[in-house]
Amino acid sequence: MNAVEIDSLTYTYPGASQPTLNGISLRIEQGDFLAVVGNNGCGKSTLCKVLNGLIPHFITGQFEGAVRVEGQDTLESDVGALARKVGYVYQDFENQIVRPTVLDDASYACLNYALPDYRERGREALRQCGLEGREEEYVWQLSGGQTHLLALAGAVSLRPDVLILDEPIAQLDPMHADRIYEVLRALNEEQGKTIIVIEHHTEYIADYCKHVLLMKDGQVQWLLPTREALQRVEELEACNIFPPQVTQAAHRLRAMGVLPAGAPLPTTVEEGKRAFAALKLHPQGAAPAAERAGETAVSLKQVSLSYRSVKGEPRTIFDGLDLDIRRGERVALIGSNGAGKSTLMKLMVGLLKPKSGTVSLFGANIGEKRAEDLSRQISLVYQNPEEMFIKDSVRADIAYAMQVRGVPDWETRTDALLERFRLTGLQDRDGRLLSGGQMRRGSLAIGVALEPGILLLDEPTANLDIATRREILGVLEDMQDLIQTAVIATHDMQLVCQWAQRIIVLCGGKVVADGSRDEIFARPELAGQVGIRPPEIFTMARALNPDARCYTIDAFTRCFGEA
Amino acid sequence: MRTIQKTSATQSQKLMIFVLSMSLYGLATLFTELIPKFQVGLVEFSVEFFLFIPLTLAMLFDPLSAALGAATGELVFSEIMLGQFGGLGELEKFLTVTIGVYLAGRLVKDPRNRTMVGLAAITGTAAQLFMGMVVDVVKVQLAVEDFEAVEGLPESVFATEGFAFLNDLLFSGILFCLLPTLYLVPRLYGKIEPLLGMAPRTAESPVAGLSPKILAGCAVAFLCAVAAELAATAGMSLIDWEAEWAESGTALAIGMVCAAALAVAALLVIRKNSERNVAC
Amino acid sequence: MNKLSENLLDKFSMDFLRNQVLKNAYGNDDTVIAGLDPRVLIAWYLFFGVVPWFVQDLPFLLGCFLLVMVTTLLARVAGLVLFLFAVGVFSQTGYLFLATLLFGGDASAVAPLLVLTLKVATISLASVTVFSGLDPDRLSNGLMWYGCPERLSFSISYAYRMLPMLMEEFQNVLLSYRLRGNPPAHDTLLGKVRYLIYQVRIVVESFYPLMLNTAKRSRTTVEALELRGYRYAAADKAVKKIRLSALKVTWNDLLFLALSALWTALAALCAALL
Repeated sequence: MNAVEIDSLTYTYPGASQPTLNGISLRIEQGDFLAVVGNNGCGKSTLCKVLNGLIPHFITGQFEGAVRVEGQDTLESDVGALARKVGYVYQDFENQIVRPTVLDDASYACLNYALPDYRERGREALRQCGLEGREEEYVWQLSGGQTHLLALAGAVSLRPDVLILDEPIAQLDPMHADRIYEVLRALNEEQGKTIIVIEHHTEYIADYCKHVLLMKDGQVQWLLPTREALQRVEELEACNIFPPQVTQAAHRLRAMGVLPAGAPLPTTVEEGKRAFAALKLHPQGAAPAAERAGETAVSLKQVSLSYRSVKGEPRTIFDGLDLDIRRGERVALIGSNGAGKSTLMKLMVGLLKPKSGTVSLFGANIGEKRAEDLSRQISLVYQNPEEMFIKDSVRADIAYAMQVRGVPDWETRTDALLERFRLTGLQDRDGRLLSGGQMRRGSLAIGVALEPGILLLDEPTANLDIATRREILGVLEDMQDLIQTAVIATHDMQLVCQWAQRIIVLCGGKVVADGSRDEIFARPELAGQVGIRPPEIFTMARALNPDARCYTIDAFTRCFGEA
Repeated sequence: MRTIQKTSATQSQKLMIFVLSMSLYGLATLFTELIPKFQVGLVEFSVEFFLFIPLTLAMLFDPLSAALGAATGELVFSEIMLGQFGGLGELEKFLTVTIGVYLAGRLVKDPRNRTMVGLAAITGTAAQLFMGMVVDVVKVQLAVEDFEAVEGLPESVFATEGFAFLNDLLFSGILFCLLPTLYLVPRLYGKIEPLLGMAPRTAESPVAGLSPKILAGCAVAFLCAVAAELAATAGMSLIDWEAEWAESGTALAIGMVCAAALAVAALLVIRKNSERNVAC
Repeated sequence: MNKLSENLLDKFSMDFLRNQVLKNAYGNDDTVIAGLDPRVLIAWYLFFGVVPWFVQDLPFLLGCFLLVMVTTLLARVAGLVLFLFAVGVFSQTGYLFLATLLFGGDASAVAPLLVLTLKVATISLASVTVFSGLDPDRLSNGLMWYGCPERLSFSISYAYRMLPMLMEEFQNVLLSYRLRGNPPAHDTLLGKVRYLIYQVRIVVESFYPLMLNTAKRSRTTVEALELRGYRYAAADKAVKKIRLSALKVTWNDLLFLALSALWTALAALCAALL
């Protein structure tokens, strides 16, 4: 039986001129684990909202065609009845949580539908989602990953047959991401639930999903078994979807004639071990070690900091932290969610004051400087770009800091920045109404407007699809002449490997490792300890030959490509 | 092939506006609660520093949802969260804020018309302040029992109330209600609506316009606010505690003490027993 | 001196405020007061929140005041709330006193003012006990039992859920202004005035981004509420019943009421005797 049947569905949002979904016909089998992929704005999220009846019952608009979920026509049903068949987890999941305590939130929907055993259902859902033992905690005590699991538990508690998740791991570190997918797999295999994820991390698709649905311009391109789907490298790349690095590497090697022409492409490291078994490593000259010259730009000495907590003792974030960052360095700050990365950045720009110890900038204690003066030396780009936009147009936002400081010819400089970040055509739009990538570019432009010596970026690639991430990486490379010293806090290991010269690993408020990428990734015990993971291609190369140090697909094809 | 199309403001959109108005205005009033109030007894220089928030929302969206949301937000965030709940007094605040904001929202036919926005903002504020003043005067008269007898008190109350009203309207009304609303409405128009999945309000939208029915409704609500205070006061003074005690006060009080003491003792014993039962 | 004022400001930050509000709501859920049945407490509040208004007797008022003071201490209310209470009561009588003197009143005006102060203080403390001592969910359940609209009780728990997020967002927007803005120097008096105007303008302007960001959030929230059956619950009597079935009056509640009654009666007795 099919869990979802869609016949020639066309849907247009109110006020829009073009239909967002255009003539979609689709069958999704019961018990499937389906990944929906496609460009930004191709209608993935809209399709999912059609399935749970939000469209057309809640979000109005023009709706044609028929959608049946578990045999129930969504037009003839209401959102409430459908919600028991289809669970939905939003991308901005924290807004989905409406109750203060964990158990309350998990059982909230069941209570609303007047199920007398609502508490048991809530508990059961929490157990299934791995949040057992946290029933009485308050939601703000949870980490990002746990909050996401809670949102999932809220959906699971109604025992729906179909679960839909919109980009479930966009903001999570690899360890938490794994947990989400393990939970989903258990729900799929043990409970027989149909699971639909919107996902662009193709590594996870390869590991967990059974089928892949490609959407383009509001239409379904194809729905194929995962292995087959990921083979179609060109088609996917045309839609800005990048297959797993292993697959991409194999695709290139096949084009180079290193792999036989008809050979199926591997999609996981395990498959890669077989496919690449015959290849030999040709060591390349090691990259020249970056010189660590330059004066000290930021220096933290014996810094301690703690947050007030609602109950009991304050929560200590840092206890006697020492750290130096020198001029000219490109530093990546990594560590799991909640390791203190954002807090460290806020300390550096003086937004937080340490309880004890000193933070100094080029030798001067920042406690003695005014925040407004600091901004010429150091600048922070928030994780959430929306909070960077305080004016009603991108142009005004970029110009603001220069304008109020009376920087000479601020207008021409604003023009130059707009040009450089390719925002000239968008300059009069409100920043927060732009697309994800444009919004990031805007926030970067704001961050560098005063030409600070040090630029701090908090998760510059979070919530972006791979194509936009590449674009941002390009922008970062491009900014080198503007910024001498840069620090990036991130979970994105591809970004770390391609961009950073120095990697600092934070765990529980302590620096547990500090060095070049070779020094960091050569220590597998670190990965287990702090929840970081090298890029897949690195793991692949190491699986073939423990001496390999390939951080990019290019390096991999160079090292293994010669016959 | 079936087609359905809905365009009217749905219940859910109203809830969205309610939630938005509640959270924003609630947050703002939480801060005003921290600013020391200039208060002369019950006469309050009741500056609603952040009234521009619901005013703006009422002009851009459904006025009633925005007005009710704002009033609820203030009640929940600043009164209940900070434990400043003043009982009956809050009903008056709730209703006057709702009426003021609602009137302003209805007055605006087209949010793009700046004159109209400005006029509506100041009218709504004035309405809210005026109603607050009337209720305040009535309240003081009732609270201080020998109001007329205390020399200088009535004059002082009327003078401060009148001054407060004018000061609030001309100073804070313009500074905190008129100007911010004029700043925000044109900027948000056309931007915030799509975020909520709605079409921007135009002159044709059914939510604008004042009819006698609406004005009558507001008047009734205001009378409710005044009546609630009066009724409560009048009703309670009928019980007239003092008179009763004057007659056989001592005996009655002794009786009450004995009864209450007995109840305490009995309850203590019962609790002990039930605890033992649970333990077994 | 400069250091001190900065320190004070630092203490009174958004972070502090958020912490105090949350502490007030959830940090004291193991006290005697928090364990009581919300319906009983609300009934208790109705007495101590209303009756003192209509009584002029000093000993009786004093008795009530002492009682609510004890309950407030029992509820372990957050410092900020107590501070606000103190400021509120002081400013109310202080100003009234001055105004009465100014308009030609004399000592005879002072006595009613003292009584008034005691009334105001008693009523505020009673509300502090109930509304700060109870955890918001129990409070909203209690209100619902008394027939308050469902939307109010939803608003209460939702407000507590949203507040930390909203404050963080507001804080970040303000920080953006602080980092990128350029406030006027505030050494001279004129500079200080200009600085104040600047601050006010920033706060007003920061509501522009805040409104848009919150709008984005509330859309998801309302959609999720729809999916999670909020609207169905509001129309369904069975839900209310299930929710309220968690409330239970225990011996502790009755004891609390009886003790309050005893104390009040004693106060009344004193009032009658004196």
